[in-house]
Amino acid sequence: MGIRTHGARFQFVVSEPIKIDIWSDIACPWCYIGKRNLEGGIAALGDDAPEVEIEYHSFELAPDTPVDFEGSEVDFLAKHKGLPAERVQQMLQHVTGVAANAGLDYDFGALQHTKTLKAHELLHFAKSHGLQLELSERLFRAYFTEGRHVGRIDELVELAAEVGLDADAARGALESGRYADAVQADLAQAVAYGVNGVPFFVFEGKYGVSGAQPAEVFSQVLTQVAGERDEAAA
Amino acid sequence: MTDRSPTDAATPAPFTMVTGDPFAMVCEGDVCSIPGTAGDTP
Repeated sequence: MGIRTHGARFQFVVSEPIKIDIWSDIACPWCYIGKRNLEGGIAALGDDAPEVEIEYHSFELAPDTPVDFEGSEVDFLAKHKGLPAERVQQMLQHVTGVAANAGLDYDFGALQHTKTLKAHELLHFAKSHGLQLELSERLFRAYFTEGRHVGRIDELVELAAEVGLDADAARGALESGRYADAVQADLAQAVAYGVNGVPFFVFEGKYGVSGAQPAEVFSQVLTQVAGERDEAAA
Repeated sequence: MTDRSPTDAATPAPFTMVTGDPFAMVCEGDVCSIPGTAGDTP
């Protein structure tokens, strides 16, 4: 709601959206779950939900990941974590179950593990065209549900076009590395904030929320921020 | 908001941390875990 009325006093308050900054990585299973939970928290407020402005920031979880990894997600994690493949499969099943409860259909069997740096650059390109949220959702779904390769430029350009971005412009941005500095600036900001893991949410620059919190936590934070705004405006 | 605690004193974060659910999962590197525990998931 952009304009709210305080009927008894006939006072009109023009409110800015509540800003939510999110540090996240496309390859982070709990970031997609956290995204759904945030959306659920907003939806749960119904007509009382404040208008929000969401901005995604880059957090590359595993910069040493090769663009093209030969092997399954189980292979990758077993190798990196030194765990038996059976244990990794159990963990993947657990995440898949939690994701399903959030309405997400994870398919780790199809997932193609890759470096996400170019995906982050594309998210900055999308932000400059007002389509970052759309692309974020598309990339998460492509990675966790559809087994798409989000590390290759050709595939990223296809996904960009699907959300309405100009394919040639997206390719130009990725091939030139135009948004590489923007990605690094996000990473540096995360370090400055002491953010070690994702998802990480900052509401209105005032409250930090770490992890894939339940929807009700997000509802509570939004209610708190909106209430503080109302008090300040009174 | 169930609880609040200041961010790590060593960090200059200008915001207050909301504890929320202490069992909420966070990913660091290729390891995801409940902060402060040894248990992890991909």
